Amino acid sequence: MTETWRVVDVEYPDDPFMNMAVEEAIPRAVGEGAAPSTVRFWHNSNTIVLGCFQSAQLEVNFDACKETGTEVVRRFTGGGAVYHDAGNLNYAISLRKGHPLVPGSDLQEVFRKLSEGSVQGLRKLGVSAEFQPINDISVDGKKVSGAAGSVKWGSVFHHGCILVASDLAILGRVLNVPKAKLADKHVASVQKRVTTIRDELHRNIRTREVSDSIVQGIQDSYNVHLEKGNLTGREMSLAKELYQSKYSRDAWNLEGLFEPLEVRTVASS
Amino acid sequence: MLAADYKGPGGKLVRIRLTEDRGLIRQIKITGDFFLIPEESLPKLEKMLEDAPIREKELRLLVDRFFRGTEAQSLGITPDDLVKAILETKQETTA
Repeated sequence: MTETWRVVDVEYPDDPFMNMAVEEAIPRAVGEGAAPSTVRFWHNSNTIVLGCFQSAQLEVNFDACKETGTEVVRRFTGGGAVYHDAGNLNYAISLRKGHPLVPGSDLQEVFRKLSEGSVQGLRKLGVSAEFQPINDISVDGKKVSGAAGSVKWGSVFHHGCILVASDLAILGRVLNVPKAKLADKHVASVQKRVTTIRDELHRNIRTREVSDSIVQGIQDSYNVHLEKGNLTGREMSLAKELYQSKYSRDAWNLEGLFEPLEVRTVASS
Repeated sequence: MLAADYKGPGGKLVRIRLTEDRGLIRQIKITGDFFLIPEESLPKLEKMLEDAPIREKELRLLVDRFFRGTEAQSLGITPDDLVKAILETKQETTA
């Protein structure tokens, strides 16, 4: 029988901190059995999203952030900094740990498997996308999407952002790119290493068209049926608590202090 | 402050910033775009490295002990990359 997954588009485009709180609340609830397997699509306005191990001080050009009105938020997964704007589509997949699609806890396997739906979705649009280990989707060697993920709280979690029609000029300004990283990839700037769906298709395209195509890609790749749904009460209360205790705080976003802010598990509301 | 940015072939970037006192690590901050599960285990590794001499043999023992003890899973960096990154702080200095 075809498994049914929930697809939610709960988003706070002008509140990247709440967006990130929801991003963590969903896999926690899925791991508790309080929510079904879920795909989420969402957007941020100008925001740098740091990987959980990154130094804001080293990675972020704060002057450029101030000039461009760019916020800085830290996610709970590893990987590198990404720049989000309205032309950037974020997707997240939360499954219970042990789900037959990714039964193990090997993170490389999680990325490989859970990128497939997006790769298929992009191909349906006519983009020759392919998964590129460790965690990218690329088109002719240029990165169009990066993913991150974790196995925790009883869940398998994978999220990625897809450059649909993003402003790559701002991206290149707000993030400092370390020399060691460029040396390895043999190119001189962020803009040259990345591309957008718009540039690949040579036409204007909305993120909605891309997410619709990814829904198809996910259904085809994993033989599941996606059904529109909302967040549960448990997810909303978790999100509010995570917002208060973690994602609205500089100690987490800028300093990346792990332990003191780890959310306590509240009783179901 | 001693600093090194290290990237193994095909791997992720590890950025080490540490203060040293007579050849021993006083404080160390490991940052970068790698993956490590559980994420909360990284401060444990930093703590384990405090007071360690910046020498390959001792560092390797500690890093291996961390991975064995925590059963942490890394992606994009190996224990060897971590050791090399820390050793590299002796080669370059930044403000």
